[in-house]
Amino acid sequence: MVTSEEISRTAKQSIAHGSPDASDMIRMEGVEKVYRTDRIETVALSNINLAIRKGEFISIMGPSGSGKSTLLNIIGLLDAPSGGKVTINGKHISSYSDRNLARVRNEELGFIFQTFHLINDLSVIDNVEIPLLYRKGSSGSERRSLALQALERVGLSARVHHFPSQLSGGQQQRVAIARAIVGNPKILLADEPTGNLDSQMGDEIMDVLKSLNQTEGTTIVMVTHDPRQADKTERIIRLFDGRQVD
Amino acid sequence: MIKHMIKLVWNRKRVNILIMIEIFFSFIVLFAAILGGVFYIDNYLKPIGFEYQNVWRIGISDNQNREESVASETSRNNEPAQPGSPQAVNSKAETVRQLAIAVREFPEVEEVSFATIAPYSNSTMESAMDGDGVPIRFGVDIVSDDFQKALGLQVVLGRWFSREDDGQQYQPVVINQLMARELFGDSDPIGKEPRRPKKGPDKEQSNEPPRRIVGVISDFRKDGEYAASENFMFRRITIDDKMEKTPNNMLIKVRPGATAALEERLIKRLQNSARNFSFEIEPLSKMREEMNLIRLAPVIAGGLIAAFLMIMVAMGLTGVLWQNVTQRTREIGLRRAKGATKNKIYQQILGELVIISTFGLAIGIIIVSQFQILKVIDFISLRVYVMSMIISVILIYALTVLCGLYPSRMATKIHPAEALHYE
Ligand SMILES: Nc1ncnc2c1ncn2[C@@H]1O[C@H](COP(=O)(O)OP(=O)(O)O)[C@@H](O)[C@H]1O
Ligand SMILES: [Mg+2]
Repeated sequence: MVTSEEISRTAKQSIAHGSPDASDMIRMEGVEKVYRTDRIETVALSNINLAIRKGEFISIMGPSGSGKSTLLNIIGLLDAPSGGKVTINGKHISSYSDRNLARVRNEELGFIFQTFHLINDLSVIDNVEIPLLYRKGSSGSERRSLALQALERVGLSARVHHFPSQLSGGQQQRVAIARAIVGNPKILLADEPTGNLDSQMGDEIMDVLKSLNQTEGTTIVMVTHDPRQADKTERIIRLFDGRQVD
Repeated sequence: MIKHMIKLVWNRKRVNILIMIEIFFSFIVLFAAILGGVFYIDNYLKPIGFEYQNVWRIGISDNQNREESVASETSRNNEPAQPGSPQAVNSKAETVRQLAIAVREFPEVEEVSFATIAPYSNSTMESAMDGDGVPIRFGVDIVSDDFQKALGLQVVLGRWFSREDDGQQYQPVVINQLMARELFGDSDPIGKEPRRPKKGPDKEQSNEPPRRIVGVISDFRKDGEYAASENFMFRRITIDDKMEKTPNNMLIKVRPGATAALEERLIKRLQNSARNFSFEIEPLSKMREEMNLIRLAPVIAGGLIAAFLMIMVAMGLTGVLWQNVTQRTREIGLRRAKGATKNKIYQQILGELVIISTFGLAIGIIIVSQFQILKVIDFISLRVYVMSMIISVILIYALTVLCGLYPSRMATKIHPAEALHYE
């Protein structure tokens, strides 16, 4: 068993030596993010360097407004950095077109949000199928069976035709996880996935994530406020005011 | 993806039904305007069956008998039937003969004929005939033997009226092809004596000789190029002692290039032949312009109103769609996060709109078809009806897609990180 401190150290070393490790799933080098609105400039991230290895389960912690979501959005290609270099699974994504970014989001990444972001007018199974709709050459029955498998993995096979409003918060988050994993992504990004849930439901969600990490080898990056949940992960990255702190 | 969009549209029916209703009503209004336009264009492209160029109408009014004349001029559903007093009839026939002779003396005049109703005039006579128990309605004019030449009517079967019809045991009639087909289908109408209905304004009278079809003309659309082709029958005026009343119109064909000076000379000459009558001359080409203006005005007005409504609908629809996109910011952000390209988002917003339009149009088409199926608008042919429907459907799709372009573009501008940022 490797301790999180050790992994943290090795990651830093590999970046410092400028020799990217082939097993790095996510690499960030000197990443900056500045929001400019009218005359106000907010530095949300500054000089972020990190390497997350394949199969790692790490958490990002920090006070509110410290840039956790911003960091996750940049990893998830939902936002572009103002500076620095981002590599996802060996791909330098900075020069990617909208189409290529969309493909990486679709095939390599799965996103889970604090507020689930389910589409209320679609049934559970239709929600779970969404990522597959943006994938070429999958038939309706293929999509259906993949979605059912994903729901089975999160233990929701019995709620396939329910609508989100008919489910508890924990169940809704499990639907969101099923949706995130339906396309077999290599990386799962979770922004405070347990933030809207009570501790028991939060634990359930953590169990699901943990088992995905262990059985599928999915790399998971999770933002959390909850030290109890963070302790269940292999490594913690701490942010304060847009900077990494050790 | 289409199935997914249909599902979404269906599950959001509460929001979408309003857009659907808007599209449905727009379709109905647009269809009405387009139907009018297509109907007119279709009519315009068909031959009217006569030549109006160089034909002048000379209105004849008998000053002693003014009221009768005015009454018959405006009569509808009624062929004049009241016999005048025998003595008066006699002198009237003589006067009419004199008038014809006087006008024929002019070298510029090629043909002289009489008609009860002139083409492009506001008067109409209608009648009905018994077509196997179903009354067949038709327009009527009572004209002299020279009418066919003066107006250039095309006889396609049989012959026009002539002297050989004098003193026969039948009244000769000439009908148009449309009516021949309606009465007899493909069989030969010549020599047939269709029965008149037992009841109604033109009912059978035992003392009257039967009407016999002696000829068929291509067509005669007395109201001109914008009027639909309708059943039409010509009956024969004979200027003899049995003549019931003076015909209201003399229709003369003049040489090309005849001027207003000829009109004056004609009036003077006519006035000298019949002091108790008054005359007015008007070229058919001028009557045609007036008639066409009257016919076109409502279609143009309807078209303008429809166009105005379409603009209002377009603005309203754009607003509603824009608002819908705003309300779906999170959903769109989520789809982007899950791998939708900007293009896919654009296609989805437009695609859903097309699906909603299709529902609205389907209902519109079903309702509009009922009018045709139930024969509510029977003077418009199925062809014109279907064509108008196709044009309206295309235009409504074009309109909705046009309205959806801007909101769809706005949807692609939604930034996923901001859209998914919770407060
Ligand atoms: N779209 C934006 N425009 C301007 N400022 C933003 C935007 N998103 C985030 N910020 C700012 O960036 C900083 C980091 O935000 P965020 O990453 O959401 O923090 P956290 O998730 O750690 O609470 C905050 O000061 C926030 O106000
Ligand atoms: Mg956050």
